[in-house]
Amino acid sequence: MTKPMIRIHNAETNEVIDREMTNSEFAQYQKDQTAQAVKQAEAEAKETAKAALLDRLGLTAEEAALLLS
Amino acid sequence: MAKQTFTTGQVLTAAQMTSLQQTAMLGGAASAKTASYTLVAADAGTAISMSNASATTITVNTALFAAGDTVQITNLGAGVCTITAGTATVNTSASLALAQYESGTLKFTSTSAAIFIKGAGAAPASGGMTLISTTAFTGSTVTISSIPNTYKNLLLITKGTYGSTNVDESLRFNADSGNNYAYHNCNVNTSSVSGGGASAQPEIGIGQRTALTGTQELGYSVINIYRYTDTGGVQMTMAKYSATSGSQLLFFTTNAVYYGASAISSISFLGTGGTYSGGNAYLYGVN
Repeated sequence: MTKPMIRIHNAETNEVIDREMTNSEFAQYQKDQTAQAVKQAEAEAKETAKAALLDRLGLTAEEAALLLS
Repeated sequence: MAKQTFTTGQVLTAAQMTSLQQTAMLGGAASAKTASYTLVAADAGTAISMSNASATTITVNTALFAAGDTVQITNLGAGVCTITAGTATVNTSASLALAQYESGTLKFTSTSAAIFIKGAGAAPASGGMTLISTTAFTGSTVTISSIPNTYKNLLLITKGTYGSTNVDESLRFNADSGNNYAYHNCNVNTSSVSGGGASAQPEIGIGQRTALTGTQELGYSVINIYRYTDTGGVQMTMAKYSATSGSQLLFFTTNAVYYGASAISSISFLGTGGTYSGGNAYLYGVN
């Protein structure tokens, strides 16, 4: 399987290396993506809950922001 | 003239005497280099000039020079030339980095140690910035490595960045994915303001890497990293402008602290997917 490419620029020697991620880098990359997906899902769930609450209260988002300002 | 071992009865030519005189008067032709170079024994007593638009190094190894030997080094190029200790030890009271038209002398105190005596150059001893590297964005992640530890602060400017798709973008130092980062963001777009923050994070969220559907989707950021050679807490501030597809403009400000066990020597730009399609990062050392 082709892994994502990574660029490493050595600031001391000015050498630039473009290569596939190593197994450990790819494992970290996948771990990062999973963690981000969880965060994203939590944020979306929060937004959905907020919208449902506003709907129950009969308020728009702008009206709610005005109340909290 | 390189360092010689003269013998009894040796006859010197006029050219050799002229060269010897120039060397004695701290003049003479320099050995011109255009790429990173490792000193050799024959460089003792000579002058070396470096000329390259990008960063270069002059590496110093042990067991090549005797105590008292000198090598003069001048940087003629736009790229910073850094005196680098290979197997030898190199100490200095100033910086080992030579900006364009700066010069210094390596004076060996033993076969394995030298002092770099930097001459007054165009760059001030304090204050001022030096362009360390220019990196083009490509691939899933981009890392600037081997950052010299000879400056007080770092200034990192990214310009015209964009990616294959809209994804969240983050920074990581020293490839450290431990929960050693704390940050908060304030995000302003065309219709709302939001913010957030967290401690014990494995990276610093810096907003979005956006896909290019027009020139307004390019990302621009100014990132300051203060006292980056400290350990136990390095502060970073960032202001970033970018945009999402559909021309919704975004402005991010971020404050962060990295609790690292060692000085920052590499910076990685990460994304939650997709790849970088363009843009550049300009890393400056600030004194």
